[in-house]
Amino acid sequence: MPHVSALPIVTPFVAATALVAIRPLARHWLDDLIAVAVAAAVIALCAVLLYRSGSQPVTYWMGGWRPSHGVTIGISLSIDPLGAGLAAFSAVLVLAALIYSLRYFDAAGGLYHALVLLFGGAMAGFCLTGDLFNLVVFFELMGTVAYALTAHRIEERAPIQGAINFAVTNSIAGYAMFIGVALLYARTGALNMAQIGAALDAHRADPLVVVAMAVLFAGFLTKAAAVPLHFWLADAHAVAPTPVCVLFSGVMIELGVYAVARLYWVMFAGPMHPHLIALRAILVAIGVTTALTGAVMCFLQRHVKRLLAFSSISHVGVFICGLGLLGHRALAGVAVYVIGHGLTKAALFLCAGVLLHRFATIDEFELHGRGRELRAVGIAFALGGVLLAGAPPFTLFAGKSLIEAAASGSGYGWLIAVFTVVSALTAGAVLRVAGRVFLGWGPASGPDPQQARAARERVDELRDAREHTPRTMVAVPVALLAAAIAVALIPGAVPAIERAAARFTDHGAYAAWVLRGAGVHWPAIAPSHVSFDDVLYGLLSSGGALALAALALFGAPLRASLPGSLRAGLATAVAGLRGLHSGHVGDYVAWWTAGASALGAVCLLALG
Amino acid sequence: MSRRARLGLFACAGPALAVVLVLGFRGLPAFGHYHGVYGLVVNGVELSLRHATDMVTALNFDLRAFDTLGEEFILFAAVTGVALLLRELRDESQRGSAADDGAHSFSGASDGLRGASLLLVPLIVALGVYIVLHGALTPGGGFQGGLVLAAGPLAALLAGRYLALKRLAPHAALEVLDALGAAAYALLGLGGLVFASIYVKNFLPLGIPGHLLSGGFMALNSIAVGLEVTGAFLLTWTEFLDQALLIRRRSERS
Repeated sequence: MPHVSALPIVTPFVAATALVAIRPLARHWLDDLIAVAVAAAVIALCAVLLYRSGSQPVTYWMGGWRPSHGVTIGISLSIDPLGAGLAAFSAVLVLAALIYSLRYFDAAGGLYHALVLLFGGAMAGFCLTGDLFNLVVFFELMGTVAYALTAHRIEERAPIQGAINFAVTNSIAGYAMFIGVALLYARTGALNMAQIGAALDAHRADPLVVVAMAVLFAGFLTKAAAVPLHFWLADAHAVAPTPVCVLFSGVMIELGVYAVARLYWVMFAGPMHPHLIALRAILVAIGVTTALTGAVMCFLQRHVKRLLAFSSISHVGVFICGLGLLGHRALAGVAVYVIGHGLTKAALFLCAGVLLHRFATIDEFELHGRGRELRAVGIAFALGGVLLAGAPPFTLFAGKSLIEAAASGSGYGWLIAVFTVVSALTAGAVLRVAGRVFLGWGPASGPDPQQARAARERVDELRDAREHTPRTMVAVPVALLAAAIAVALIPGAVPAIERAAARFTDHGAYAAWVLRGAGVHWPAIAPSHVSFDDVLYGLLSSGGALALAALALFGAPLRASLPGSLRAGLATAVAGLRGLHSGHVGDYVAWWTAGASALGAVCLLALG
Repeated sequence: MSRRARLGLFACAGPALAVVLVLGFRGLPAFGHYHGVYGLVVNGVELSLRHATDMVTALNFDLRAFDTLGEEFILFAAVTGVALLLRELRDESQRGSAADDGAHSFSGASDGLRGASLLLVPLIVALGVYIVLHGALTPGGGFQGGLVLAAGPLAALLAGRYLALKRLAPHAALEVLDALGAAAYALLGLGGLVFASIYVKNFLPLGIPGHLLSGGFMALNSIAVGLEVTGAFLLTWTEFLDQALLIRRRSERS
């Protein structure tokens, strides 16, 4: 059924226009109904595409403009299982965000619904398109919607500042991408990714190709929030409406990583083949820097949404490491991890939303012990922490094991230590919050009390009285956590993702099925098995998370026993790292320029 | 970071990025040496297979009509976003009394400017309609024409008749116009799916090259975009003008 290929993109677009057109009617229930029904329909459409592309990938030439004499003249959707799966996953989170929003706040008469549906359509288009320019168009559309949603609480300063920082940095990323597109078009005369890849195969990696790759990667890594292009993320997540954070953290930033993977395997794998080892080192270095910076910053936060935002940066670092290993098994691991992380992080944000809804603050210390009455939310939050730690045998663990096995196989065994530290820190922070808020453990006051003010929100736009929490607001995170537990336990799910990743990384076959419509016979892939070591690492990171949480809650005497000079040194380092995240958009642009130029220079030196 | 540190970092990183880019740009073909075949192919297929004579419009509304869908919805999303963000303040302004109406006009306009502006309105609208309709024949089309069309009612503002403009094109009507234009474009694409079994495929007769009704569904696509752009820009301008006039009114009161 290739006829439905365009519908996951077009249906939410049309529904968004309908929602705006019926605004004069002012029927909230109708807005809710349309939005939820369309989101559910998009999941079904993506599922059809996923099922269909599992046996044979689909190339859908828009307007029927097939390649003529070997030249692509139209735009194609090039649908493989990994792209279709990611589109389906984004649709699931869109539905979750919409259902949660039903009772969360007064959604501005359908405008909010319309923007969320546009966001969903843009993400689906981003996952399915086979055209480089079209990819950038959907990137821009995602951005335009996201900036507006971030500034939703317009009457306060922080949301406006967060949205402006987000818009400025991501627009610069957009310019970088356009430079890359222009360079590749000048070289190859093509915009279709498969055709660009086929044209580049004939050449070695000269400076034009290397620079084009570097600026495109810098652009998409900005969306992915790789250090030092990441500064916008925490500012935006801290202020955006909680259901929107689910989309930002759960799938939008992951799409940046997806784009880098897609561009590499379709376009640059040919000319980069002789430089595989150097490129691997560059990407892994970016990934490790991102993972560690994000993890440390995460542990330092007391604003729970900011904490979760830095945790997402940290996990993006893990994704970039997995992608950077440039092999199909590691990529499969990333895909599994993205699903597990997206569901878990979404659930954690939604639990934080319950706290915000109930108590009008999201500050860890102000909430000390106040979560006791919300037992189900507390259990869900703690469970989210345990899953995030990579506890066996759940989805995050399955993904991390695959990446770690691939890392050991390519001489990057030390990445396992990095991942363990990162998992322990990010999950430890979540467990610490769970202990303090829902059980009242640990001291009730902490450092930087001025942060508490930033964590309070005006709540008069919230729809319901705050004495009780609407049932949907608990049911959605619980359902997401159940999915995070279940996905990897479904027999055949992980091997199917491994097969999808193997197809995704087949540079030659992609060009054949996109450009020539050739039927492809994929070689069989032996599924990976979880080893004893994997379980050991999983238990280690979970134990580490518990230990760090306990240390943070009850370890004050232990910390006081450290020598004074060491404490002062640590405090200075922490203050320095925090100072970099200043909220000043000029700083962010300066760092972006530094990061992009460093990436370009290193690529030119190492890959030229 | 301090201002000094920020400028220092950028003073190092900016030139470094420029050097990286220039090294890449050196691989570009020399000025005037275009070797691609894409333009030749487009010129060939669009005239013979679609009877279009303006290749830019043919690219926008036929060959790469799917990109235009995305761009249309970027505009739609931007306007919807503006409406979302300015909702609160607009509600406040609507609560204001009718006695404030006088504030909704520019006091500095001379009679000559008012007369000339009113005279301009029909001329600008006529030009806009012409540009939208002739997109498939000569340079122009929905984006350019829509912007001209939106500028027409704006001339009424220069004439000091902002309230007349608001009565002529009320907020809700503009919102519906914007949404209908965007929807029409997406639905014309679905027409391709229904009648020619592929999204954004032409499903209308092609006509004679050079005639007004040629190029298949491009003309309708162009009109849809024209409607959306007109609605979107009028909506954005009136949103911001409302804000500006509202703020002026508040400061006058205090």
